[in-house]
Amino acid sequence: MSTPPSDMLVGDVLLPLDRIAVVKPTTLLKTTLETMARFRLGVAAIVDEAGVLLGIFTDGDIRRMLLRDQKPFPALFADDIIRHATRNPTVIAPDENLARAIVVMEEKGIWDLPVVDKDGRLKGLLHLHPAIKAVLAL
Amino acid sequence: MIPKTIRIGFDNKVAAVAIGGTEPLAFLGGPCAIENRDHAMRMAERIGTICRKLDMPWIYKSCYDKDGRSSPDSFHGLGTEDGLAILADVREAFAVPVVSDFSDAAWAQATGEVCDLVQIPAYLCRQTTILRAAAATGRPIHLKKGQFMSPWNMKNSVRKIEAAGNHQVLLADRGTFFGYNMLVNDFRNFPIMAETGYPVCFDATHSVQLPTSMGDISGGQREFIPYLVRAAAACGINALFMEVHDDPANALSDANTVLDIQYLERILAHAKAAHELRLELLDKWGEDDVHPPV
Repeated sequence: MSTPPSDMLVGDVLLPLDRIAVVKPTTLLKTTLETMARFRLGVAAIVDEAGVLLGIFTDGDIRRMLLRDQKPFPALFADDIIRHATRNPTVIAPDENLARAIVVMEEKGIWDLPVVDKDGRLKGLLHLHPAIKAVLAL
Repeated sequence: MIPKTIRIGFDNKVAAVAIGGTEPLAFLGGPCAIENRDHAMRMAERIGTICRKLDMPWIYKSCYDKDGRSSPDSFHGLGTEDGLAILADVREAFAVPVVSDFSDAAWAQATGEVCDLVQIPAYLCRQTTILRAAAATGRPIHLKKGQFMSPWNMKNSVRKIEAAGNHQVLLADRGTFFGYNMLVNDFRNFPIMAETGYPVCFDATHSVQLPTSMGDISGGQREFIPYLVRAAAACGINALFMEVHDDPANALSDANTVLDIQYLERILAHAKAAHELRLELLDKWGEDDVHPPV
C-alpha cells in the first residue's frame, strides 16, 4: 500500500490519555475489562509508574486467552492484566506522519497504535477510525 | 516461579530463619495453645532437639488466645500478657524465632513486640483491620488462606498488607471446605498462591481437621498427615506447619489433629528429603513451565 499524501501528524488526531483505558500491570483483569468498556474501545494500555508503556491488552487478547487459559472465570478475573498482555506492541511517535501510521496499521492488521515519546512514555492512542476520518477529510 | 525470601528473626538473639527462594524447608511447629510455662518449655526442648538433629530451620509456634473455638467451654488461652511472656521466655531460652496468631487488631502491637512472625487466622484472612494491624507491626506475616477462599483471591489480602507498607508475607494452605465439616487440600493452591511472589506454607495438622464435626469440637484424621506432608513437599512449598503435642489426647486445643511428637522426626525427615529432591530435580530438569504465563 502506498502512502497517501498528507501533512497531518499522529499527534494531531491521537486520542489523549483521558479518553483511553490506561491501567497498571497489577490491575485485575476484571477491572481492566470494566475500564475498556467505559471508554468503548477494544484496547487498554498498560503503563508503569512513570507512564512508560509496558504492553497492551485487546479484544483479540481476550479471544486468545479464553481459548488458551481454561481456568475458571473467577480465577481469570483475579489475574494481573500484565499476565495476558501483548508486550512490546507496535508503537508510533506523535510526530510521525499520519498517513504513514495508517499504512503501518494496514500492514499489521491492527486497529490501534499506542503513541509513545522517545522515552517510551504513553502519550495517547491512534485509533483507526478517527485517523481515516482525518485523512478522508483532507 | 521462585518466590522471594523472607527472613524471620528480628534481632540477633535468635537463629534467623530464611523462608522462600531455594532455601531449606522451614518448620513452623509447637503446641496449638500455650498451656503453661513448663509445657511450652518442654515442647520447645523436644522439638528443638529434633530440628537440630535434622538440621531443619525452625520457628516455635504457639498461641496465647484461641478465639475460634467451637464451644464456650473450650480452653480459650492464657491471654496476651501471660501468653506472650511465655513465648518471650521460649524465644530467649532456645534462641528460636516464635510465632503466634492474633484475633483482635488491638493485640497486634503486643504480638509483634515478642513474635518474629505474626500470624493471621484463616477465618480472618480477609479482615482489613486485622491485616493492617499485622502490617503495622513491621514483622513478617503468616497469612493463612481461609477455608472458604479461593487461592487466587488471596491476592486481595496480600495487597491489603502491601498497601499498608508490609512486603513480607508467607501464604499458607490449611485446607478448603468440601461441603460441611470437611476439608480437602487442593495442591494447585501452592503454585497459584506463589504467583503473588511470596513463599508458601502447608499447614498439615489443620488440613486434616474435620471442622466442628464432633458437635461442639472439631474432629480430625491425623493418620493422613504423613501422606499430605509428602505430597505438599513434592508439589512445592517453602515451609511446613504442624501443631505438635506430647500428649494429644489431653491437649487443651485441637486434640484431634495435633501430631504426637513421637512421629515428628520421621515426618520432618520425609518432608526435608522431598523438598531437597524437588529442588534437585528442578535444578537438573528445569522449572515447572508446562503452561507458563504469557
